[in-house]
Amino acid sequence: MHKIESRNVNFFYGENQALYDISLSMKENTVTALIGPSGCGKSTYLRLLNRMNDLIDNTRMEGNILIDQNDIYEKSTNVDDLRKNVGMVFQKPNPFPKSIFENVAYGLRVNGIDDKHVIEERVITSIEQVALWDEVKDKLKKSAFELSGGQQQRLCIARALAIQPSVLLMDEPTSALDPISTSKIEELIHELKNQYTIVIVTHNMQQAARVSDNTAFFYMGKLIECDKTKTIFTKPAIQQTEDYITGRFG
Amino acid sequence: MASHFEIELDKLKNVIVKIGNLAESQLSEAVKALLSEPMAEKKEVKRTEEKIDKLDVKIDEICQTIFALQQPVASDLRFIMASMQISNEIERIGDLAISVIKNSKNIKDKHDLIVKFNVAELAKQVEEITLKMNQCFLDRSETTIGEIFVLNNSIKKGTDDTIHNLMNEMKSNSKAVVSGMNLVMVLKHLERISEHCTNIAEHVHFMIKAKIIKHEKFDDKQ
Repeated sequence: MHKIESRNVNFFYGENQALYDISLSMKENTVTALIGPSGCGKSTYLRLLNRMNDLIDNTRMEGNILIDQNDIYEKSTNVDDLRKNVGMVFQKPNPFPKSIFENVAYGLRVNGIDDKHVIEERVITSIEQVALWDEVKDKLKKSAFELSGGQQQRLCIARALAIQPSVLLMDEPTSALDPISTSKIEELIHELKNQYTIVIVTHNMQQAARVSDNTAFFYMGKLIECDKTKTIFTKPAIQQTEDYITGRFG
Repeated sequence: MASHFEIELDKLKNVIVKIGNLAESQLSEAVKALLSEPMAEKKEVKRTEEKIDKLDVKIDEICQTIFALQQPVASDLRFIMASMQISNEIERIGDLAISVIKNSKNIKDKHDLIVKFNVAELAKQVEEITLKMNQCFLDRSETTIGEIFVLNNSIKKGTDDTIHNLMNEMKSNSKAVVSGMNLVMVLKHLERISEHCTNIAEHVHFMIKAKIIKHEKFDDKQ
């Protein structure tokens, strides 16, 4: 059974069509990498999975996207609940101007959790999950801005995990980080896969190869090929995919 | 304009072609040494052997650099992986050609033995398979790969039969043992050369079709 299933998805920014007939499924507890040149629609597709594109004026979506068999674009869908279930991490770390502790606790508080013990337990668990605990345990009350870029990004992942989503969307989560921080995030993705379904947009081909189980190649708003990552990077079925991953176009 | 990466790949291809041609000429010297008198010029053979060894190392270095700096994938990755293996196989062909020359020296009444056991025909087939081996790397032709498999099968059967006949000759004529054993060794070297050419055809097949067929039986390969 698929955790996420897109059926014939089209998406428009005003008159401009950004996605064409995308049908793509993802199994639970897998990592799917979305690759393709800039403007190919991979981030647009990613943002459809938690209805982030709803925040952009004059956009339109056709088709169906199902998460746990429920169509997330049905009128009855509660978007807040959807975004609780589908967390997101962005390209640049974006901690709030608050303490390290409060950054992670914030999502819990806005979601109506006010039991101090529950909040404390969730904050600690989330920070431990992203392997940041040893680095911040003695400075939880310090500003999140005092952390390095890599630590800030892991804190943002902890913030997303605290509200216990089942899907995690990552939009180029390491593009602003140094190799050591990148490697920590990649290790983290491997760990998190056991509990979450992860979809990651990346321009780094080697990162897609390292962290994902499946890879989907987008080009000019179309899904050209999706297969096991091992297959995509050793013997892709479509010549366009081969040309892109070997750096011959795009 | 070709990219830096494509220039590196072309360089690798050219070195493989070069080492393949050297192995081919080395085998041709070995066949001359086997079939005719006097022996091939030793210095030239030695020089070619040194060139093959140097190119073998150079290929390893080029591949290592490409792996480290370019992180090749898909067809590029297969080409580089195949190139490393092909280079090893070709280097072995060069060594075996030298062994053919060495063993040929110890065969007395060579002409009679060669005619009696039709060794010239086998040697010709091995030269042909070596030629095809170089050709299949260059033209990436599945037809040539198939021809190599068929030829290797024929060479294997030919050497087995000839060795069997030579054994019988040695049993009945003890004076023929020394020359006979050296000729058996030569035949085994030629058979190994044919096997290396077949391995190369398998590597080229992997390179173009992304399918590993080594260790498959002859009928399955067909």
